[in-house]
Amino acid sequence: MRSKFDAQLALLNTQLIQMGALCEAAIANATKALLEGDRELAQKTVEADEEIDQKEREIEGLCLKLLLQQQPVARDLRQISSALKMITDMERIGDQAGDISEITLLANIKRATAETKHITAMAQATIKMVTDSIEAFVRQDLELARAVIAYDDVVDDLFNAVKSDMISLIRVDADNGEFAIDLMLIAKYFERIGDHATNIAEWVEFAITGRHSNGADQ
Amino acid sequence: MKRRIYRSMLFLVLITLFCTTLLITAVIYQGFYHLMQQEIRNEALFLATSFNENEGFDFSWLSTADYANRITWVARDGTVLFDNWADPANMENHANRPEVTAALQDGVGEAVHLSQTLGTQTFYRAVRLADGSVLRVAATINTVYKAVFDLLPYIILILLPVLVLAFTLANLLTKKIIVPLNNLNLENPLANDVYDELSPLLSRMARQKEQIAAQFQKLQEKQVEFNAITENMTEGLIILNNRGQILTLNKSAATIFGVRSPDYHNKHFTVVSRNLVLQKAVKVALDGLAYKDSFTKGQNTFELLASPVRDGEEVRGVILFILDITSQQKVEILRREFSANVSHELKSPLTSILGYAELMFTGMVQPEDQAAFIDRIYNEARHLLRLVEDTINLSRLDEKDVQLPVEEIDLFALAQEVADRLAPLAQQKKIRFSVRGEKSIVAGVRPILAEMLYNLCDNAIKYNKENGTVEVGVSPAAEQVIVTVADNGIGIPQEEQSRVFERFYRIDKSHSRDTGGTGLGLAIVKHSAEFHNAQIELASTVGKGTTVTVTFKRKGF
Repeated sequence: MRSKFDAQLALLNTQLIQMGALCEAAIANATKALLEGDRELAQKTVEADEEIDQKEREIEGLCLKLLLQQQPVARDLRQISSALKMITDMERIGDQAGDISEITLLANIKRATAETKHITAMAQATIKMVTDSIEAFVRQDLELARAVIAYDDVVDDLFNAVKSDMISLIRVDADNGEFAIDLMLIAKYFERIGDHATNIAEWVEFAITGRHSNGADQ
Repeated sequence: MKRRIYRSMLFLVLITLFCTTLLITAVIYQGFYHLMQQEIRNEALFLATSFNENEGFDFSWLSTADYANRITWVARDGTVLFDNWADPANMENHANRPEVTAALQDGVGEAVHLSQTLGTQTFYRAVRLADGSVLRVAATINTVYKAVFDLLPYIILILLPVLVLAFTLANLLTKKIIVPLNNLNLENPLANDVYDELSPLLSRMARQKEQIAAQFQKLQEKQVEFNAITENMTEGLIILNNRGQILTLNKSAATIFGVRSPDYHNKHFTVVSRNLVLQKAVKVALDGLAYKDSFTKGQNTFELLASPVRDGEEVRGVILFILDITSQQKVEILRREFSANVSHELKSPLTSILGYAELMFTGMVQPEDQAAFIDRIYNEARHLLRLVEDTINLSRLDEKDVQLPVEEIDLFALAQEVADRLAPLAQQKKIRFSVRGEKSIVAGVRPILAEMLYNLCDNAIKYNKENGTVEVGVSPAAEQVIVTVADNGIGIPQEEQSRVFERFYRIDKSHSRDTGGTGLGLAIVKHSAEFHNAQIELASTVGKGTTVTVTFKRKGF
């Protein structure tokens, strides 16, 4: 009985890593498409979101099956419940990577210039956060998870930097408005992705310690 | 084992106890019964004698509770005259009782009456008295079964300590039997001296142990061999089972995927790498098909080959082979660039030649201009020839296919020859050109070395400033000869320095025509140096000049 349960838990773990890998690829591709103006890649990223959604449903089903059939307790229960929460965040990351690519497709974002310097930095910072949060889950690494949570401040600071960039861009020439707003939206998406990566890291922390950063013991 | 011994011991005890009780009871009972019979007979005789000798014998004194046996006096017709246990009036006629009948007939009679319900048996002895009546004495004792049954509580009482004793003994015995078994030397089964009964088992164990050791040895050798092969491979090798768990992951694969955790064995491969190409490859291979794809990681490009491991129809695992194709790809790109460049470089002079020739052919050129046109065609054709020659030289050097003899060459003399040839050009550009040094002999191929020095000096003059200097130094050392070509010309930017030896690479693309070069000069220099096993170094600062140092080994070639 236990061995079957262990096998299912291992499967859940693998599926989560796979979903994480899809998210990593989504955000990396979205960023590449954005910075290099690669419309084809942007289109592919938008389409790849479907795969992530599919994976979410699969993992959700597996989690519910485990909860119902095995009625896990203690650490096992934490692992499954945090998996359920993590996939929600991963799915959102997928969505937002798709959203960034949609803007890339619709708008004419000029290639890396002074205005996009901070956006580039933001993209790199969020990619790092997503990768590290998944890595923390894979290795069950508490240190790394906490580092990801702390790193969110870097992304938030960059967001503010982008905001002031855009304000001065519009001040220079009002015709820059549309471009600035597109970039602002993209920056917001990156900022949200950073938040989701933080959430994932928090759930990793919860799965390991039983304590959630945002609340008391659960 | 313990339970078994305990059980058999208990069984033995119970059987012994039961049989002993039964036997002893039977023997003692028998003796007791005979004694009782004798006693009754004596009593009957005594009472009969007393009755016969005393007229008017009175039986009434027998009717006391202290008297244990039953006495009955029966008249000749069977009527009961007296009974010390019951009222004779209530008693039936005893004429038909066997003992009474026998006594009436023979003088004495005996009978035994068994009472199943009470578990007793009564012994009767009847004696005919002198007056013809019969006196009967009876005694009742328990049957043998009752006697045994009555003993039961005592047996059970005995049984309890016996059980405890049996249990303790079983314990002790088991321990005693087990201790030598526990102390068996399993490493060397034949060295044991325990129970004879165990020797077949032990010798069999010894044999199997030998077999296992031999097989283990063989396996280990195989494993070492396998590890030696896989660990020294430059290609990455990963073997997965059919659940995608890692069975083997060699050093190269660990390096390629930057494996951080050392205990990847039996973990799912996604723990090692979340690479999507890898995931796809494993999925396809687990479905039973081979898969080939490439992916980039960092600066490098890798080719991934996944093949299923089959056992009949069933896919048992996946073998992944990862090759670093970065340099291969770079070479491929270079070759493509080279052929594109060659075609382009060949096309430009040809286009000019064709253009000029066409103009002349259609008669659109004035006769006085014809000389100039022909001169241009001539120059372009020469350039074309030079280009083809350079390309041929380069590919020969590439293939190391040089049919010329190796001889001892004085590089200093050769440098002076080259200087003489370039003197007009230097003069034209107002550049001071000097060669210093001393006689330095190296082994080499003269035309190649001459071409190399010529190209280096030619470049130093061409890419120089007005009134600049070019200095060629040839200095012999113990094991090597160092040739330097230094100018104080325009210099090469830092980021371009690594690329100037590439074919057709030009720093200033717009001025390539003016200098008349083919773009192959430094590539030929590089290959010539390589051909002679010489080291080439380039030091340059923009605006200050360039120094190229070629270090020949005296015995290197």
